Amino acid sequence: MNTFAAVLWKDLVTEWRTRDRAVAMLVFSLLTVLVLRFSHPMGALANTDEIAPGLLWVAYTFSSVIGLNRAFATELENDALSGLALAPSDRGWIFAGKALANLLILSGVQFATAVFFGLLFDIDFTPVAGRLALVAGLGAVGLSSVGTLFAAIAVRTRYREVMLPLLLLPLLIPILLSAVRATAVLLESGVLPDGPIRTLLVIDAVFAILSFITFEYVLDE
Amino acid sequence: MSSDSLAIFARGIEKRFGHVAALRGIDLELPFGRSLGILGPNGAGKSTLVRILAGLSRPTAGQLRIAGEEKDRRRVRGRVGLLSHATLLYPALSARENLRFTARLYGVEDAQSRIDTLLEELALTAAADRRVDTLSRGMAQRVAIARALLHQPPLLLLDEPFTGLDVRSAEELEVRIRAVRDAGRSVVLVSHDIERICACADRVLVISQGRVVHTSENAALDPAQLRAVYDRAAEASA
Repeated sequence: MNTFAAVLWKDLVTEWRTRDRAVAMLVFSLLTVLVLRFSHPMGALANTDEIAPGLLWVAYTFSSVIGLNRAFATELENDALSGLALAPSDRGWIFAGKALANLLILSGVQFATAVFFGLLFDIDFTPVAGRLALVAGLGAVGLSSVGTLFAAIAVRTRYREVMLPLLLLPLLIPILLSAVRATAVLLESGVLPDGPIRTLLVIDAVFAILSFITFEYVLDE
Repeated sequence: MSSDSLAIFARGIEKRFGHVAALRGIDLELPFGRSLGILGPNGAGKSTLVRILAGLSRPTAGQLRIAGEEKDRRRVRGRVGLLSHATLLYPALSARENLRFTARLYGVEDAQSRIDTLLEELALTAAADRRVDTLSRGMAQRVAIARALLHQPPLLLLDEPFTGLDVRSAEELEVRIRAVRDAGRSVVLVSHDIERICACADRVLVISQGRVVHTSENAALDPAQLRAVYDRAAEASA
C-alpha cells in the first residue's frame, strides 16, 4: 500500500506541476467534440440524442489514449521507469497507483468534455448529471486499468505512440459497447439500465485484477 | 566460500534477445565488502549483466543469487542499489521529494533522518528543495547516489556512472565509491574508463561478446595491460 500511495502521490504532483497530460487530453477532447459538431450537418440536430452517446465516448476514448501514452512517456525521462521497476514491492501496487492517477485525470477531462459537448450539441445533461457521471466513471475505470497495462507494454516499443492505440482500442470494444448503451438509455429515459451497468462492473473487475497480476511481468525487460 | 556469504553468486548466466545472444554463460562471485570492475567494448553485454543483477531483467538460463537471495525477486531488488548514467530521478520533483518517494517505495524506516543525513553527506542540503530539472548534471548525479544508497543496499551497481560528469564531479564520485566499499558494501562498476576502474576496483573482468575473456585481481591491476586486453576485445567484436 505504501507503493500504491507513493506512486499515486508522485503522478499527481508531477501532473500538477507540468500539466503534461491533462492539458493535452483536454485540448484534444474539446477539439474532437468541435470536429464532430462541424461534421454534423448544420441544422440537423433533430437526431442528436441518438448519436450523442457514441460521439461523447469517441471523445473520451481518444483523449484517454493521448493521456495514457503520456503516462509512461514521463517515466522514460532519466530512465525513471527502471527506478520504479526496482522497487522491492508487488508491482501490482505500482499499476494501481498509476491507474488511479490516470482515472482521476481522465475523470476531470470527461467532466469538462461533457459540459462542452452539451453546449455545442444543445443537450441538457443536468437532470441526469449524477447518473451520467456514474456511467462515465465506470467506463473510465475500464479505460484506465487496461490502458495503464498496455501503456506500460507499449512504452518500451519503438513505435509506442502508434502501438498503444493498436493494442488498446480492440480491447476497449466491450467497455465502449456497454458504456454507449448505458449512456443512450440514460439520456433517453433518465434511468440507469441494469444490463450494461452490470457488464461494465464485470469488465472493470476483470481488467483491473488481470492488470494487477500481470504488471509484475510487464515491467521486466 | 558458501554462496550465501557472497554478495553475488552467478553461474552460467545467459541472456538471449530473440536470436541474439547478449550473455553466453557468465560465472561471477563477489564477496561482501569487495568491488568488481567490468570493462568491455560497446555491445559486450555489460549493461545487460548489470540489469540482470539488479533484477530488472530475467536471465534466459543460469543461476543467480544476490546477497543470499535467489527465489524471491522482490527481496533481490531490495538488496540492490542502482546508479547509472541516467539518474532515475523525476525532473519535476525536488531532490528531497525524489528521495522521499524512493524511501516509501523501499519502506525505509526513519526516512526523514536518513534523507537529511545523505543530503548533508553529499553536500546537497542547500539544493534539497530545488527541482531536479534545475540542478547541474553533477548535482543530479549526487542526488542519484543518495537515491541508490537510501535503503542501505548490500550491493551497489554502477553502470557508466561517470558519463557526462565534469572532472571534479567524477573525482568526487570515485571517492564516494571507495567509501561505499570501505563501509562493507559490495560494488560493481561498469565503465569504459580503465584508469577509474583500476582506482576503484579490487578485481576487474573484461567482457567481450557476452563472455568473460579476462580477469585481473587487485594485486595485478595494470591499466596498460587492461588497455591491451580491452583493445583486443574491441577488435574481436568489431
